[in-house]
Amino acid sequence: MTELIIVLVIAAVLFGLGVYGALNQTNLVMIMMGIELMLGAAMLNLVAFWFYLHPNTFSIQMFVLVVMTVMALEATVGFAIATQRFRTKGSVEVEEAAELKE
Amino acid sequence: MNIERIIFLVAFGLTAIWFGWRVFMTKSMIRSALSLLASMAAIGLLFLVMQAEFLGVLQLMMMATEMTIMAIFMMMFMMDPGGMGNMDMSHQKKASFLFALLTGLCFALVAVLHPWRLSMEIVPSPARQNHDLGIELMQRSMMIFETAGTSILVAMIAAVATALTFKSIKNQ
Repeated sequence: MTELIIVLVIAAVLFGLGVYGALNQTNLVMIMMGIELMLGAAMLNLVAFWFYLHPNTFSIQMFVLVVMTVMALEATVGFAIATQRFRTKGSVEVEEAAELKE
Repeated sequence: MNIERIIFLVAFGLTAIWFGWRVFMTKSMIRSALSLLASMAAIGLLFLVMQAEFLGVLQLMMMATEMTIMAIFMMMFMMDPGGMGNMDMSHQKKASFLFALLTGLCFALVAVLHPWRLSMEIVPSPARQNHDLGIELMQRSMMIFETAGTSILVAMIAAVATALTFKSIKNQ
């Protein structure tokens, strides 16, 4: 049980770091990095659950593949938004994107 | 309890945490992207320690390419990609630190306090895992897997449509 707790605590710290980055950074690409870190922590949790709790249930591994896909999609759409924003406004700083909420 | 495995779990875990921390602590954007790559690689190595060989190798390959692309985009979009200008690109420091601490602490507490019931089953060999994962993907979870494929297609179209400059919009 110690091993599982070690992995889960590592994942919790990584998730916390991701939350910190996503909230603290003003650059869109850096915010995406925070989200990637959070998704990485989620995948670590899933693999730990598979290995220590249900080693013969492969839907957990399938779920890891889905999270990996989500990671790639988030990067794709995020970069597309960043490209458009950079083309129109010349910057990807979220502090300068306050007009989007109007 | 397997001492060797614990040593590797802790070593790679601390590596992942250290590089995850460095991502947001360095001024250079390229160092940030490479630190995230190192953190993700350490997570991939943790997968390998937990005998999920396919997922571990997949994680290493995917993150190597993804973070390299991220580094290129960083160079394109940042005013100061090398961090030489010492620009501050953070806000709401105290609030985000507190919120992150609270989130991490909550998850860690759940992990420590929950009475986990470990499985007594033997973990299948890598070849068996690949076979069983393939069967899972092509039988019971086929619809979910196909949805992931369709999502990739939709995201590709959405990304191209978002990034393009349309003439009609430009002329307005």
